[in-house]
Amino acid sequence: MGVTRKRALSSHARALLKNLLDTQGEWRHGYDLAALTGLKSGTLYPLLIRLESQGYLEAEWQPPVARGRPPRHAYRLTAAGVRLARMEAATPEAAASTNAWRNGEAMS
Amino acid sequence: MRFAAEKIMRAAENVFPAHLSHWSRAMTRELAEIPQDPAALVFAIGCLRAAIMLAASRWIATLQYRFANTVTASARSAPIMNRLIDRPRNLGLICAVTAVGLGLAYMTAGGAPENYLLVNVAALILGATAWLAVGRTASARLAESGNAVLALALLLLATAVFGAAADGVSRWVIVGPLSIQVSLIVLPAMIVLYARRADAIGTIGMGIAALALAVQPDRAMAGVLAAGLAAIVVAKRSRLPVLALAIASVAFTVTLIRPDMSPAVPFVDRILYTAFSVHMLAGLAVVTGCVVLILPALSGAACSADQRSMMMAFGASWAGVVAAAALGNYPTPLVGYSGSAVLGYLLSVALLPGAPATVGSNLDETVSAIDPSAEDDITASRIPKLA
Repeated sequence: MGVTRKRALSSHARALLKNLLDTQGEWRHGYDLAALTGLKSGTLYPLLIRLESQGYLEAEWQPPVARGRPPRHAYRLTAAGVRLARMEAATPEAAASTNAWRNGEAMS
Repeated sequence: MRFAAEKIMRAAENVFPAHLSHWSRAMTRELAEIPQDPAALVFAIGCLRAAIMLAASRWIATLQYRFANTVTASARSAPIMNRLIDRPRNLGLICAVTAVGLGLAYMTAGGAPENYLLVNVAALILGATAWLAVGRTASARLAESGNAVLALALLLLATAVFGAAADGVSRWVIVGPLSIQVSLIVLPAMIVLYARRADAIGTIGMGIAALALAVQPDRAMAGVLAAGLAAIVVAKRSRLPVLALAIASVAFTVTLIRPDMSPAVPFVDRILYTAFSVHMLAGLAVVTGCVVLILPALSGAACSADQRSMMMAFGASWAGVVAAAALGNYPTPLVGYSGSAVLGYLLSVALLPGAPATVGSNLDETVSAIDPSAEDDITASRIPKLA
């Protein structure tokens, strides 16, 4: 085992990790993640900050796709983050959490 | 609407902690990518909320860090104080002996009955014995804290239902010639135990304790319970203590509504005021004795995050008992006639850390310990950081 957890992850964190795992390798932007997970920005960004500080997420500034647009911050899981997300996806709580999230808990 | 969103985002950027400024820039850039104005406004409001939360946790951490590095550092300049601060349990015993001694001086000067003095001395000896016994076992049986809280809560409830009643309140158990106030003995210890381990069983125990105090009713101890839990909430930032605090707040409100007509008892209640009419020195002894009770909590600033919650809960509880004594007809702890308070103080002291693990001198470590975004507390000590 490489990962030890002191406390269970919240349904929000599970939803975010699951989403990042599903799009493994692809860079994601904050607003896209908010739209995909249903998380509000006030919940999403503290989670992203935390995951990045713990080494589960990497972030980089990407040059604008269209001319005249500002560069954007993009995120994807690190190898450690992928392992954590897979481990979380395999736990029984993950299924319940994902169901709750699908039923709208994450939107509240 | 877009204009309002941009203004709010600018406010969020200003509030964001400086070391996370690249995150606030990232949020601002995302705002420009949101096509719908209402969605942009909601996004900006969320970002402002995140900024406020992060800035508040940073501010609290900075205060704690400064406190740990100034107040305790100055106390540490004396070698004896240095050793005592490192051992809150020992410091608590010394504080108990000091406060009881000052109380005996006051009661002697005030002409209190001899048996009052004997009861406090007997309680001190009994409490010191319990301090020795509990202190040895408590640290090794952390997992049983919740069960202990529940058992003590049931004792409180039994007192509310079956205890001796006077003036419409039921908060005592009669043992021979003594009236024992059970809540004063067990509640501070329960709060420290819950701060050690705030699990589901302990939370149920806290709920039962709140119910018991509302039934008795005991306004002072219900307030102490709410104060202790509020300290735990601030220190731990986890959900179960918040639930316990909500229940305790309701119970405290109930006790405020219900009449509590207990008259003041000489040498027990309101002595923070009456002691000065005995003699100026007697009054000073009582006030000093009350202040001394809170001292062990000061070493909490130098503790690790887990231990800090215990110290804060301890300090809030006994500050609450002293405040209740100052505001109403409730026993003045240790300096007044009350063996229950002496026992309760030493029991709660016995549960404090013997030698706290000190926080590192790194502010980020302190921030990380109390950061509300640490809800998903994952340790990756054996995972190499790839980012």
